[in-house]
Amino acid sequence: MKRYALFLGCTIPARQPNYELSARKALTKLGIELVDLAETTCCAPPPVRSIDLETSLAVAAYNICLAEEAGLDLVTLCSGCFESLSVANNMLKGDEHLKNRINRVLSEVGKEFLGSRSVKHYLQVLVEDVGIERLKRNVSRSLSGLRAAAFYGCHALRPSGLLGLDDPERPRILDDLIEALGAESVEYRNKLKCCGGLLRGYSDELALDLAREKIINASRAGADCIVTLCPFCFVALDMGQLQMRSRYKETYDMPILHYSELLCLALGADPKELAVQTHKVKIDKVLDKVL
Amino acid sequence: MERAEREKAAGLSFPEEVASRLGGETIKLCYQCGTCASSCPVAKITPNFNPRELIKLSLLGERDEVISGDAIWLCCSCYNCQERCPQKVEIAEVIYALRNIAFEEGRIPPIYSEFASALLRDGRIIKVSKFVEKKRSTLGLPPLKPTGVEALTRILSATGFNKLYERRERK
Amino acid sequence: MENVKVGVFLSDCGGQLPKILDFDAIMGYVKGIPGVVLVERSSEFWRGEGIKKILDAVKRGKVNRVVVAESVPKLGEINIAQAVEEAGLNPYLVEVVDLKNGCAWPHRETPREATEKAKAMLLAAVERVKLLEPIEKIEFPVLQSALVIGGGIAGMQAAMDLAELGFEVYLIEKEPFLGGIAARAGTFFPTDDCAICIQSSTSDVKTVTPTSRKCVYRSGISEVPNLKILTNAKVVKVEGVPGNYRVTVEKRPRYVDESKCVGCNLCIEACPVEVPDDYNAGLKTRKAVYINVPNVYPPVPVIDEDACKFHECARCVEVCPSDAINLDQKAELVSLNVGSIIVAVGFREFNPSVIKEYHYDDYPDVITHLELARMIDGFGPTGGMILRPSDRKPAKKIVMIQCVGSRDRRYNPYCSSICCMISLKHAILIKEAHPEIDVTICYIDIRTTGREHEKYYERARELGVKFVKGRPTEVFMDPETKRLIVDVEDALLNRFLELEADLVVLASAFVPAEDAGEIAEILGLELGEDGFFKEYNAKLRPTETKVKGVFICGGAVFPKDAPTSSLHAHSAAIKAAKFLLNGKIVKDQRTAVVKEEYCGDCEFCPVICPYNAISLVQTGNGHFVARVSELLCEGCGVCVGTCPLNAIELKNWRQDQMLTQIRALLSVKASKPLVLAICCSECGHAAVDSSGMAMLQYPASVRVMKVPCTGIIQVQHFLEAFKAGAQGVMVVGCKSDGCHYEVGSQIAGRKVELAKILLKEYGVEPERLEMLNVVYIEGARFAEAARRMVERLEKMGPLRLIESV
Repeated sequence: MKRYALFLGCTIPARQPNYELSARKALTKLGIELVDLAETTCCAPPPVRSIDLETSLAVAAYNICLAEEAGLDLVTLCSGCFESLSVANNMLKGDEHLKNRINRVLSEVGKEFLGSRSVKHYLQVLVEDVGIERLKRNVSRSLSGLRAAAFYGCHALRPSGLLGLDDPERPRILDDLIEALGAESVEYRNKLKCCGGLLRGYSDELALDLAREKIINASRAGADCIVTLCPFCFVALDMGQLQMRSRYKETYDMPILHYSELLCLALGADPKELAVQTHKVKIDKVLDKVL
Repeated sequence: MERAEREKAAGLSFPEEVASRLGGETIKLCYQCGTCASSCPVAKITPNFNPRELIKLSLLGERDEVISGDAIWLCCSCYNCQERCPQKVEIAEVIYALRNIAFEEGRIPPIYSEFASALLRDGRIIKVSKFVEKKRSTLGLPPLKPTGVEALTRILSATGFNKLYERRERK
Repeated sequence: MENVKVGVFLSDCGGQLPKILDFDAIMGYVKGIPGVVLVERSSEFWRGEGIKKILDAVKRGKVNRVVVAESVPKLGEINIAQAVEEAGLNPYLVEVVDLKNGCAWPHRETPREATEKAKAMLLAAVERVKLLEPIEKIEFPVLQSALVIGGGIAGMQAAMDLAELGFEVYLIEKEPFLGGIAARAGTFFPTDDCAICIQSSTSDVKTVTPTSRKCVYRSGISEVPNLKILTNAKVVKVEGVPGNYRVTVEKRPRYVDESKCVGCNLCIEACPVEVPDDYNAGLKTRKAVYINVPNVYPPVPVIDEDACKFHECARCVEVCPSDAINLDQKAELVSLNVGSIIVAVGFREFNPSVIKEYHYDDYPDVITHLELARMIDGFGPTGGMILRPSDRKPAKKIVMIQCVGSRDRRYNPYCSSICCMISLKHAILIKEAHPEIDVTICYIDIRTTGREHEKYYERARELGVKFVKGRPTEVFMDPETKRLIVDVEDALLNRFLELEADLVVLASAFVPAEDAGEIAEILGLELGEDGFFKEYNAKLRPTETKVKGVFICGGAVFPKDAPTSSLHAHSAAIKAAKFLLNGKIVKDQRTAVVKEEYCGDCEFCPVICPYNAISLVQTGNGHFVARVSELLCEGCGVCVGTCPLNAIELKNWRQDQMLTQIRALLSVKASKPLVLAICCSECGHAAVDSSGMAMLQYPASVRVMKVPCTGIIQVQHFLEAFKAGAQGVMVVGCKSDGCHYEVGSQIAGRKVELAKILLKEYGVEPERLEMLNVVYIEGARFAEAARRMVERLEKMGPLRLIESV
C-alpha cells in the first residue's frame, strides 16, 4: 500500500468538501493511504505569486519541508496546489543558488528544503501507482455510453518543463482515465485553453467569457458532461454557468464532474454518499445515464 | 517601494529593472513574433490585454503605463504563451515580476488584498467557515488539522511580505 | 659548445632615436656585455646598406649570432631572417628588438629611464641569442589527389575545380544519385534556373561557351579526366597525416552494374513492388528498383534493399537486356590515398514534428517547403499541380509559416538564412502558374539580404501574395468543418486572424547533415554549437579547418543558397589546390620536444593541444609517453604551460632561455617599481606595439617580454620574476575567444587566477599580478593598465617575498 501526504490547500476544505470526499473514497478503495499533515498552509498559488514571487516559493517550500520531515511524497487534488508545489520543488532542486536563498528564509522557522520528495497530482497516482489495468478491473459499474469532455485546465500541464505531468500539447492522462471507466472521451475545440478561473474576482466578465466558450464547445461536441481535475476549474465551469445564465440570458445545463466523482460512480458508489447535491448544475442527466 | 526606488536611483532602465528580478530574467529576449498573443485566450476576448504589447511597452521603458495599468492584472496565468514562446521568454513569470513591482508601489487590486489578508490571518487564502468545518463530520471527513499560521507569519516577515502588505493598507 | 660571437646592430631610425635615448651610453653598455664581439650603428638595418653590414659580418664569420634593434620589427625580422639564411646563418639565431615603439616613443617623457630600459632590452636580447639553437626545416610529401565528401552543389563544384586543375579527385555521395538537397528544390533563386543545372566541364571543348550551364546528367561531370564519382558510398575511416591520408570508403551495393546498364528502364517497368516515394515526399509511389527523377546522375537505377524481394522475384534480372542487374552484389570497401579532403556534406531540413502545435506529424496537409518543392517541380509526383495530400484535391488556400524550428531557442536558435527566400520563390511560382490560389505568408521578419533577393519580395507583393506579421501559435483542425486553421495575430493590424488553409507549408529550419557528427569524428574536425562544421577563422580562413589539408564548404558550414555554396566551394578548391600544389609541405621545426625520461602516463598535453599534434605512445617499459608530430605542431607552447612535470619544452623557449631573459630584463634597475609584462606574439604584442606607435606613455620600468602564446607561461615564471626584482607582473594575451592558438589565453587566465591564490598564501598582494586580454587596437588599454599597475605598486611599497617562495 502506497502512502502519501494529502495536501488539501484552501479551496477544497473551504468550498468543496464533496470533492475531498470522493477523492478520499476512491483513492482509499484503490489501496492508497492518505496521511493528513498538521501545520500546512496555503500553497502560495498565483495570487500570492503576484504579490511576491520569493514569498510564494518560500511558502511552497515550507509545505514541502513538512512532507520531507514526514518522509512522504505529496499528493494534491488541486491543480493550483500541484503547480505551486511542483514549480517550487523543481525550481529549487535545479538551482542551488535559489535554494540557498529560500533556505535562508526557511531557517527563520527551523526548516530546510532538501529536495528529497516529489509532488504528484492524484491522477498521476492513479496511473502510476494503481495503473490503468488495475483500475479497469476495479470498475464495477461501467460508464459505457457516457460521453465525457475531459477538461485539463492549465496548471496540471503548464509550465510543462517544471511539472512533467503529461505532454502539454497532447495530453492523454485524463482521457485515458475516463476511458478506463468505460466512458467515451469526446474531442472539442479549445479543450486545452483556460477556464478563466484566476480572473474571477478581478474581471468576472472575462472569466465568464472564457468559461462559457468551454461549455459551448463541449456541448456542440455532444458531451454529456465536462470532467475536471481541479477545484478552480470546477467552480469556474459549474458556478460559472449560474452566473452565465444571468449575464448572457442563455440556458446552460452542462453537468461538471470531478474526475474522482466519476471514478467513485464507476467503482460502484451510491451517488448519495458523494454529496453531489452541492453541484450548482445538477448532474442527474449523468446519473440517469450511468446508473 | 524601497526596492523600486533603489533601482530607479541606480539608473536601471525599466527592462533592466524587470530583468534583474525573480521571474523577469528573460524579458529582453523577446523579438515580438506574437506567438504569445495568438496563444492568449484573454487577448482574444479583450483589447485591454495583449502579452506581446505588454512586453513591448516594458522594453520601450513605458514603466508608468505598464505598472499602473490594468493589463498586468488581466493575465489568466494559463502559461500557453510561455509554453510556445520560441525565445523561451517566461512570459507568465515576467508578468508576475511586473505585478510584484506594482505591489511594491502600492498598486494592487482589492481581490488580491483580500487574498493577502486571509493568508496572514488564517494561513489560507480562502477562509474555512465554521459551517463547513461542522459539515465535514456529517460527511464522514476527518477534522481539519490546524494550519501553520505562525510559521507562515515568520516566513512572510522574513521575505518582507508583511511590510509590503502593511504599506498597502496605509495607502 | 661552439664559440658564441654576438653582433649587435643598432638602428637609430634615421637619427630619431638619439633625440630621446642616449645612444653613446647604450653602445658603450652593449659593448661591455660578455659575448658581444661587434656593435654597429646605422640609420636602418633591415634593407639597403644596413643589411649588407649584417651579411658581411656573418659571411666573414665575425659573428654567429645577431641582435638587431630595428623599428619595423615584423618587416625587419622577415627581411633579415631571409638575408642571413642566404648568408649561411640559421635564421633562428637572430633576435630583433624594437627600441622605437617598444621604448623611445612610449617613454619619451622620461629619456633617462628610457635609456636604462633600452639597455635592459638589449641585454635580454643578447643573453637570449647566446642560448638560441638553430632550427631546421623538414619536408613532408603531399599526394596529388583529393577526396570530396558530398555530391551536392558544393561538392560537385569543388571536385570539378580540382580535377580540372589536374589533381586526381574522388567525389563520393552517400545517396545513390548526385544533387544533394538542391536537386529536390526544383529551381533556384536568384537565377530562376533548374536546381540540377551546374557549370559544365571546361575540359569538354564543345561546350565551353557562355551558355555552358548544363543539367547534372548532361554536364559531363562524369567525363572530366581525373574525376571519379562514387555514389551510394560513405567514408568509414581516415588514417594518415596531412598530405597523405588513407581513406576507407564503404560502397554499398547498387545491384545494377553502372558499366553495363543501358538506361532502358525495363527493370523499373517489370518490378512488381511499390513503396511510398520518400524523395517525393511520399506523394507518389515508386518501384523497388528506381530512379529519383529522369535527369539525375548516374542515370542508372538502384535497388531499394528494404523493398526488393531479390531472388524470390528477380523479374528485373529476366528483363534486363544487358545483364546489368546483379542481385548478389555486396558492399565493398574501397581504399583511397589522397593528399587533401574537402567536406561538403550539406544540410538537411529540420523535422518539425517536435513542434506539436503545428501538427506536421499528424495532419497530412501540413507539409514542409522541400515537400512543396516536389509538387512545384514538373518532374515531381504531381506534375506541377499543388494538391492536398489528404485527398489529392487542388489546394486553393495555402498558408506558409516562417521560422519553424529556426530562430527558436528551444530547437535551433539561429536564422537558417534561406527560408524567407524559399517561401517567396515558392509563393511566386505558385501564383504565376495558378493565380487563383490564395497564398499567405506568416512571418516574423522577412529577410532578403542577397543581391536580387528583394526583387522576389516585390514580385510576390505584385502577384498578390498576402503577408501577415506574426508567428502562428498553432495549426488546428476545426472539429466540425475538418478544415485546417492557422491561428495567428497580425501585429500590424493588432488583430487575431484564423486563416483557413488547404495546405499549410512550414518553412522548417535547416540543420546539419545527419552524419555531420560522424564525419567530424572520423576527420578530427570540430562542430560549432549549432552542429555545423567549424571553420578555422570565419573572416580569414572560412573554408579551412584546424586539420591541415582538410577543408569544408557549402551547407556543411551553414545553410546557404546555391550561389553562396558555389562561391564557398570554389574557395575550398583553391585552398586545397594551394595545399597540394608543391607536392610537399616544408615546415620549420619550431616544435615542442618531449623529454621522455620525465614524461609519464598523464594525458594533459594530448588533450590540451589545439592541433592534435601530441599522441601517447607506449615505451619499452610499458609507460606511456607523449610524442609530438613534427608535421602538426604549430609551436604555441600550450603543452609546455600545461605539463605538470616540465617534461615538454618548446624549441628556443626552454626554461633556461626564458628565465635568462626574465632576469636580464629586470637586472637594469629603474626609479619606479619594475614590472614584467609577458605578452604573446599575437594580439598581446600588437597592442604593446600600437601603444608605442601612438606615443602613449607608460613607465619605462615596465619591461616587455614576448612569448609565442601566453599559454606557455607557467606559475613559476611569475615567482622567478618576483625573485629577480619585479614588483608586479602583467600577462598580456589575446581575447579569450580570439586566441590565435585557440586556448592559450584562456589557460593563461586560469593560471593567473591560480597564482593569485598562491601569492595570497605567501602573503603577497594578489594585485601584483594581472592578466590583460587585448586586441591590436587596444594599445591605450595596455598603456593605461601599465600606468595603473605601477601606481598601485608604488602605493603598496616594496614586495616582501618570504624565503620559502
